[in-house]
Amino acid sequence: MFCGVKGETMDVITAFLLTFPIVFVISLLFDGIDRKIHARMQRRVGPPIIQPFYDFIKLLNKERIVPAMASSQIFTVLPTLAAASSILSSAILFTSVMSGTSFGGDLVVVFYLLAMSSVLVTIGGSSSGNPYGAIGFSRKMTMLIAYEVPLLLSFLSVFLKINSTSYYNAILTQVKVGSMLALAFPSMAVSAVAFLLCIPAAADAVPFDVSEAKTEIIYGPLVEYSGPYLALFKLAKASSNLSLTFLACTLFFYLPALFGDGDSLWLGAFIVCLLLALILWFLTITVPRTVFARMKVGQAFKFYWIVALPLSVIAVVLSALGL
Amino acid sequence: MGIVARSRVKSPWIFHLNTGSCAGCDIEIVAALTPRYDAERLGCVLVGSPRHADVLLVTGPVTRQMLPRFIRVYEQVPEPKVVVAVGTCASSGSPFLGGQMVEGPVDKIVPVDVYVVGCPPRPEAIVKGIVTAVKKRFG
Ligand code: SF4
Repeated sequence: MFCGVKGETMDVITAFLLTFPIVFVISLLFDGIDRKIHARMQRRVGPPIIQPFYDFIKLLNKERIVPAMASSQIFTVLPTLAAASSILSSAILFTSVMSGTSFGGDLVVVFYLLAMSSVLVTIGGSSSGNPYGAIGFSRKMTMLIAYEVPLLLSFLSVFLKINSTSYYNAILTQVKVGSMLALAFPSMAVSAVAFLLCIPAAADAVPFDVSEAKTEIIYGPLVEYSGPYLALFKLAKASSNLSLTFLACTLFFYLPALFGDGDSLWLGAFIVCLLLALILWFLTITVPRTVFARMKVGQAFKFYWIVALPLSVIAVVLSALGL
Repeated sequence: MGIVARSRVKSPWIFHLNTGSCAGCDIEIVAALTPRYDAERLGCVLVGSPRHADVLLVTGPVTRQMLPRFIRVYEQVPEPKVVVAVGTCASSGSPFLGGQMVEGPVDKIVPVDVYVVGCPPRPEAIVKGIVTAVKKRFG
């Protein structure tokens, strides 16, 4: 099942278990850095970098309220599931990079887990019995159709290029070529652009946050969630952002590949990738959410189907042609 | 201070409720959140849903129309919560006290932790009111 080159099974399991606290800390930390940079770009002092940890602990210790109108079981189970699936997606990616192991089709699994966590949030919102939750649900579904298709096509072009659906093979390919995937092949460059364009929508960042739209439909799906449930959703969002950016930087911009194969520096490679993920987070989430105002649902949808979708189709075609 | 108490002091999320104010206080609350006064450096975030809030900022002298809604919103805020009465209207009800349509001031209806007086109070005073309230309650 494993197609690793370096990892022993025990090492892989240890690395996998180790990733959960790492994902928790790193995703909240990156969220804090994001808020700090956002504040600095607006010429504010901004909250401390560990602010998300304060928020998380505070929310965990607040009262939990389940509205009388909500279907209570769905409402209470979904936050845990959403957090679990997005943390798992980051954990799979981290384990691959740290232990040099992966299993066939793990990219597909990660793709599903990421989509899953955003779908679960919206289903939770629609089960709350609040009309804003229902509006958020319909808007999120529209956005899912808008960005998941280009995202999936972008994955597909990578699969065609590396002839495999396994994550570590993508990294191995870059090590073998001795260059980043996005620099080595024109098809991958186009695919990377499409992927990066999809990140703000997948992260519900401001120009595309139509489903949460704080000032318009008061956080949409999250409107009725309080206390620990909200904390779990915040964690789910932060770690899904982390896994999106980490995936983008390792899939297309695996920097350690430029310095030969990373056999001796697996931890170093991991840290370089994390820093790169932070830079991508800044470029694809922080900058758009500071610079742009929110789009309407139709505009956001149009953007993805007019700009990102053709790009990803071109990437698939180029990749199928072997470029 | 324990880690939970510290987190509560460091992350007061604000919900703003207008119970019939003239909007003077509300504008000042908005001003307190702008980049110039930057309440977010203290962890304050303006949230749109009472379910997410820790601090209820109440402005205005609670009119009869607002009374049931005010109580409902107060109950929607999860425990532990803090109430800050912003403005002279909310604190004492003055000039509207005893008016035909006025049920307030706020502390007649729900327990109030901090009163920020002024008509309207300055943004600095509002930020200080929020910080004082959470420190007094959780610190
Ligand atoms: S205190 Fe003054 S500014 Fe505030 S609501 Fe009352 S009248 Fe308006």
